[in-house]
Amino acid sequence: MTRLEQFIAFSALLTGEEAVALSGTGVAAELLAALDEITGAALTDELLARFAALPAGMQAEQAAGDSIMADPRLGPVARNVILLWLTGSWTQLPDAWRDSFGASPSDRNHVISAQSYQAGLQWTIAGAHPSGALQQGYGAWAMAPGSTAP
Amino acid sequence: MTATSHDVVIVGGGVAGSLIAKRLSHAGLKVLMLEAGPESTRSFADYNAHLDRFYAASAKGAESPWPPAVGAPQPDGGDIGTGKGYFVQRGPNQYGSTYTRTLGGSTLHWLGVSLRMLPEDFELQTRCGVGLDWPIGYSTLSPYYDQAEHEMGVSADVAQQQYHGLSFTPGYDYPMRHIPQSYSDRVLAAAVDGTRIALGDTSVAVRVRPYPAARNSIPRHSYQPRGAIDLDRRGNPYLLTIGERCEGNTACTPICPVQAKYHAGKTLVEADWRHLELRTRAVASRVLVDPASGEVQGIRYQRYERPDAPNFVEQTATGRYYVLAAHAVENARLLLASDLPGRSGLVGRHLMDHPALYAWGRSPLAVGPFRGPQSSSGIEEFRAGAFRAQHAAFRFDIGNDGWRATTGAPDTTVAQAVLQQGLIGQSLRHRLREQLGNQVRFSLAVEQLADATNRVSIDPAYRDAFGNPRPVIDYRITDYTLAGMAAALQVARQIFARAGITDCTGQDELSFPTVNYQGRNFAYHGMGHFAGTHLMGADPRQSVVDSHQRSWDHRNLYLAGAGSFPSMGTSNPTLTLAALALRIADDLIAQFPNAAGAAAQCGGL
Repeated sequence: MTRLEQFIAFSALLTGEEAVALSGTGVAAELLAALDEITGAALTDELLARFAALPAGMQAEQAAGDSIMADPRLGPVARNVILLWLTGSWTQLPDAWRDSFGASPSDRNHVISAQSYQAGLQWTIAGAHPSGALQQGYGAWAMAPGSTAP
Repeated sequence: MTATSHDVVIVGGGVAGSLIAKRLSHAGLKVLMLEAGPESTRSFADYNAHLDRFYAASAKGAESPWPPAVGAPQPDGGDIGTGKGYFVQRGPNQYGSTYTRTLGGSTLHWLGVSLRMLPEDFELQTRCGVGLDWPIGYSTLSPYYDQAEHEMGVSADVAQQQYHGLSFTPGYDYPMRHIPQSYSDRVLAAAVDGTRIALGDTSVAVRVRPYPAARNSIPRHSYQPRGAIDLDRRGNPYLLTIGERCEGNTACTPICPVQAKYHAGKTLVEADWRHLELRTRAVASRVLVDPASGEVQGIRYQRYERPDAPNFVEQTATGRYYVLAAHAVENARLLLASDLPGRSGLVGRHLMDHPALYAWGRSPLAVGPFRGPQSSSGIEEFRAGAFRAQHAAFRFDIGNDGWRATTGAPDTTVAQAVLQQGLIGQSLRHRLREQLGNQVRFSLAVEQLADATNRVSIDPAYRDAFGNPRPVIDYRITDYTLAGMAAALQVARQIFARAGITDCTGQDELSFPTVNYQGRNFAYHGMGHFAGTHLMGADPRQSVVDSHQRSWDHRNLYLAGAGSFPSMGTSNPTLTLAALALRIADDLIAQFPNAAGAAAQCGGL
């Protein structure tokens, strides 16, 4: 498995989205690069190693909670990975994290790119589409939610 | 300094200026249009660069796709309440609205609501003893409404718009059928249509009604919807087929990606370009007047090459007639900067807006927000009535975009679920589907009357990068409007209760200016409905322009736009100012006895 594939598999667990769908957004490499840039590739590698050590299957989500999300250093970064995928934006890490583990200059609220915004999973989870892109077509808004969602 | 001479010089390439330019050019008049902003909305590729800017913007406010040039600054929503920005706000209340200085003007980011003003709105003083009457009535403007609705492309059905005394020309209907109501609208309508809502001592049966929108829908008869615009290889403007229908991008404000929503560039495309010269990046800085006759002799303007640099050269445009169509604030600012406060002293005074409140909640059913045009229906019952003697009228706009405008959803909803509730994976998705799927939002736009102390003025201490004075704003929301806000919130609560909607108003609210009324704080926002800075009237001592928007003091000068409104009622001002602009064009053509002949001649070429 390449590092990008590992990142996608890890992201699939965090977001509940299929790996193939995450791959299909076309922004996985860009989000991984942003993560590496903001909090450092070494920390990403640690996250991916911790993920690789999780049990497979149904228990993975629970195990990730204990092993990654509860970790004071890795947890906030993993939560930011979820926000990256759902919104396409990076959210500045909590002050406590920045005080303890170092504040990167690129750790500030920002949209990663026009593409990452449009790929944000929050819109499809809501049965909608990103505001200003991937529109559903004339009159689709008059139909019940779900009837137009993929 | 270079000098050119035209029949008519128009300052401003927004909706009013474009409608006038189109009509005059087709009558064969030689027209020069000066536009302060860049021309970056004329080609499809350039327009799409604005769209990319919106995608990548952290704050996706009304101005996010439309950055100002250094020499043509504009107000920004992010500046309100900070003491920074283009406006110098002297209070006591914050003026909450913004506009855009780019070719196309604020139609680039408007919502597209195109309601006619009500007959009673023109006679508010006579009927209710408050506000100011117009010197003309609904019947004078009605044929111009017909024309404006066709020029801009408004979608609605006359059968649904005959209320509060609104009448239409026999046989008339809008050029396109009404925009389909959203699923969310239909759920609400099923719960509340016909239900009686208390207002003071009376009660009113309400209805969730589609409002007229300048967004393309299914055309009637031979009407051809205008889609996106582009320039061909020789630089000539033309219309594309993309955008001939609204596609539901849920981004009317700040940018319709397919240009299915009207913007002024579509009108300019249809001008007769043999007679129209467009000069962009040209900031009007002074109106030159003959002190003896009062006639305007020219417009001095600052021409710049690069939008990002503070360098310019000064030039002067001359014509026989002049039209300021630069925006309510910019028209007043330009006159005041030219030492032309008017003999009445009223230039800049009577500034109005529709200060608006949000009410939001959770529907008992999933309604599928974040789809469709940002809104498709309103509640119009409270726009008229005897209560206007006591407090302001108001109307409801029913959102299709969840709590985007009020809390920053969906991003903030997601952040809460991930960061505060600690959800991941399937449980996160499940929670979000539920939390995003039932969001409903009303915008309650409240009428504001003309008040001479609410004003735009200038102060030599405050200047922009080109040395032009910045607008100084004095603004107070009076009890008449505040009582209207209180009434509107009560109505919203009743409607929520009837529909089983859990009221969440005020929770997790974004930052808005507040105003206190009887011990309560109302968080309000501007609607972008600037009006009243160069009032129209029948008496030159109490107004700035006559009923044709012709300046009392400078008879070869017209002041176009909502600045001329003596009152605004509860209608979004664009359609009315468009109708008035077409009336200016007809009045101007009448000043040129040979114009019709010229048009016939051109038609034969």
